[in-house]
Amino acid sequence: MKRYLIATAVTLLTIAFPGSAIAQQPSRSAKWTKTYVVEWNEPAMHYGAKTGVIDPGTDCPNGTNPEIDWIKVLVDAGYTLEEARWLRNPANPTRSPVHGQNQMAFRGKDRANVYVNPTSTPDPGLAPVTGTIGEGVNLDGDEKTGFTGPTGEKGIDNNFYKCLGCWKTYRGPRRLSSGALQFNDSMRNGAWTTVIVVAGEGADPMNDDKVTVGIYVSNDKMVKDGNGAIARDYTFRIAPHAKYEGILPARTSNGKIISTAPADIMLRDPGYTRDLELLRAQVNLEMTPDGALTGYVGGYRPWEPVYKGWVNARGPVIEVLTWVQLPAVYYALRRNADYSPMGTGGEKTHISFALRIDALPAFVMTPDASKEVASVESYKAIAPKEADKPALGTYVVDGIVPDRSGKFQAGPNAVILPPSASATNKNQ
Amino acid sequence: MNLPIDRRSFLRGMLNGAAVCVGLPFLDRFLNGNGTAFADGARLPVRFGAYFWGLGLTDTPTGGTRWVPSKTGRDYEIMPELESLKPVKDKVSIFSGFRAIGDGRPNLVHWSGHASILSGVAPATTGRFDGPSFDTRIADAIGTSTRFKVIDIDASMSRQPVSYSTRTGNTFATPETTPLALYTRLFGAGFQDPNSDDWKPDPSIMLRQSVLSAIKDQRQALMAGVGKADQIKLDQYFTSLRDMENQLAIQLQKPEKCAACAPPAAPKETPRSASVDAVRANTRAMARLLAMGLACNQTRVFNFVHTSGTSETYIAGQSKIYHQITHDEPIDAKLGYQPETSKLASLVMEALGDFLVELDAIKEGEGTLLDNSLIMAFSDTGYAKIHSIENIPMFLAGRAGGRHKAGQHIHSTGESVTRVSLTAMQLVGAPVGEFGSGTMKTARPITEVVA
Repeated sequence: MKRYLIATAVTLLTIAFPGSAIAQQPSRSAKWTKTYVVEWNEPAMHYGAKTGVIDPGTDCPNGTNPEIDWIKVLVDAGYTLEEARWLRNPANPTRSPVHGQNQMAFRGKDRANVYVNPTSTPDPGLAPVTGTIGEGVNLDGDEKTGFTGPTGEKGIDNNFYKCLGCWKTYRGPRRLSSGALQFNDSMRNGAWTTVIVVAGEGADPMNDDKVTVGIYVSNDKMVKDGNGAIARDYTFRIAPHAKYEGILPARTSNGKIISTAPADIMLRDPGYTRDLELLRAQVNLEMTPDGALTGYVGGYRPWEPVYKGWVNARGPVIEVLTWVQLPAVYYALRRNADYSPMGTGGEKTHISFALRIDALPAFVMTPDASKEVASVESYKAIAPKEADKPALGTYVVDGIVPDRSGKFQAGPNAVILPPSASATNKNQ
Repeated sequence: MNLPIDRRSFLRGMLNGAAVCVGLPFLDRFLNGNGTAFADGARLPVRFGAYFWGLGLTDTPTGGTRWVPSKTGRDYEIMPELESLKPVKDKVSIFSGFRAIGDGRPNLVHWSGHASILSGVAPATTGRFDGPSFDTRIADAIGTSTRFKVIDIDASMSRQPVSYSTRTGNTFATPETTPLALYTRLFGAGFQDPNSDDWKPDPSIMLRQSVLSAIKDQRQALMAGVGKADQIKLDQYFTSLRDMENQLAIQLQKPEKCAACAPPAAPKETPRSASVDAVRANTRAMARLLAMGLACNQTRVFNFVHTSGTSETYIAGQSKIYHQITHDEPIDAKLGYQPETSKLASLVMEALGDFLVELDAIKEGEGTLLDNSLIMAFSDTGYAKIHSIENIPMFLAGRAGGRHKAGQHIHSTGESVTRVSLTAMQLVGAPVGEFGSGTMKTARPITEVVA
């Protein structure tokens, strides 16, 4: 009976999606499969210090980019000292304790909004990584360019790390940077789930020249054990997704999974960008003796959505919490972009990037949960149409959350000081 | 004449043509030989309060805890951020390692943690609970014989009033936000000094009660004629009317004498500021008023918000607020924790220390008001830097009339926060056998602290 139902489903799919591979011919089972759930993922940012999370190290000799004197920034942008102090005063009713001081946006030329018009202010500067050790994948095949990996491999391409690796959000030991902690905590509490299927055609999974890696999302949430760690061997159904899916050809050698050709994929970003589009993506993963999977997925990601992701996460909040001027992020990403799908001419639109992944063994089922997956294939054709979702649930316009009461509106012409400003600012 | 009376008896009669009933004070003949319980074995009234503060306490992934004692049981050591609890250590139990479990629902920052503790289920959306907060069940159980079923207080000086007490999950109580407002509520119009000898029922109250009573039949008719959504709205509305009726009925009874009750003078209006020192002063002033309100038997249940989940508090003169500091301050490599965050957490805990000391300062029988109370103090988050909902700090303070084996540290990694909530409900006598839903559903109170 079950077989009949599955066959019926395939027939229906054939009618609904005549062009899809899955519909035209049922996939052939691989010789072997290994399946995982991603329990941690973070941008691959090598930490060059021995202690702490902000200390000077080989990556950033001066340590993490320092905390910013926002009063000075505002004065440099043309505000008076009194205005700048009042804008940063927690008692100022225009400074939301949740969404920050909206007027912070208006510090460009003629008080332009620097979040949506970052070039309206000169590059404030963001100290880059100056070390030679980096993590990720050799994307361009050139061992003479890029970083040297922690174990000596040459040509690691990760300009994302190079330009943002000293930013407090990303800097820190493995699994301890503030950004990684925040987003992985969210993922582990159910915000999203990513599963990985590795399938091969050879007899030895550890050494197989014909391997395919599939990366999918699941709507089944991870389960924590009594210690708060993600539990192994739970079951997850693949959720066909119109965007989030990656299929990469590879081979295995002594348990290492190495790409044999690049592929264009899109994953769920552990960050504010949400979409992690990777062009010419490759993997460098390892199946560990304890049954887990660890390593990197690298590729070239569009850099502008990264910047916009931070802006839409509420510029005034992000800037003060992460010790950065967002226009500096814009300039750094643009300056370090190293790939463009349009060719070598013109400005680069993408930047080399690597995602560091830790995954645990799990049971991964087909979308209808009828059986464990037995191969890597695309489910995009049967995915429901993805509705556009905002990066945040908060109402954000041009990087700030407007005061809905209309009482406190920031802008180029906003009146900064209250009538009794001098009395109010006595203690500031 | 030898009347067969007990503590539940009323003296009944007519007043200005209306029937009135007058309650009796706690006469010695109602109590046991020690004055610690009623002669029939029932305990003296126990009060319950929920005390909330935002942003948790300092505990880091690298193990730099500033609040979790290394020892469990009675010999636990006072950790730096709990220093202010030292004067009442023997009356406070500390619960560490407990977590909110979302069952696949995402962590709604500064919301999922305390929503889980109070409602027993991780909420689907910020701003709502998926069930009533459990303080309402306690209020229904022990709060019906006082002038106010529950008092809601927000000492945070936030820009918007903050309350996490809800019967529907959608609408939250309206709290008193200043000492003067709280004083007016407790001791202003309508307050009847329980120790006054010339008490008389207020005819205007009798009139108001009869007016409310008159609509009961119409209420039933109205309920029968509307849809389900309106029935819910009406039910909520009439519940508040019933509470008011109850309140009016109580005001028609001569209140029980309360030896510890000494109505305070009205406080002055204070300037609003969310600075740490201002919030602490506000907390202390409102705690003192509340303590006397409890001693004067105006209520037996309260909710007290010190600071909201997204706390607005800050140190005067600094441009950063506490909330921002929890997120942006890096862990000090040598110390192993965020020093400024820890300093602010200690300041916030000082307000809780003040609060408990105020309740402990009021003598009641052979003990104190705190001995006859149970305060469940808790926060919204564990490690605030990442909005963790694991290891959320929770405390039970007060002996709950002897039911709470206080003064212990209970550590239970990964257990649901609802176990502490259920324990609190059962300690104050709410008839609740289980609490929560999904993975957080529990029928297991923490028996180590139950006498």
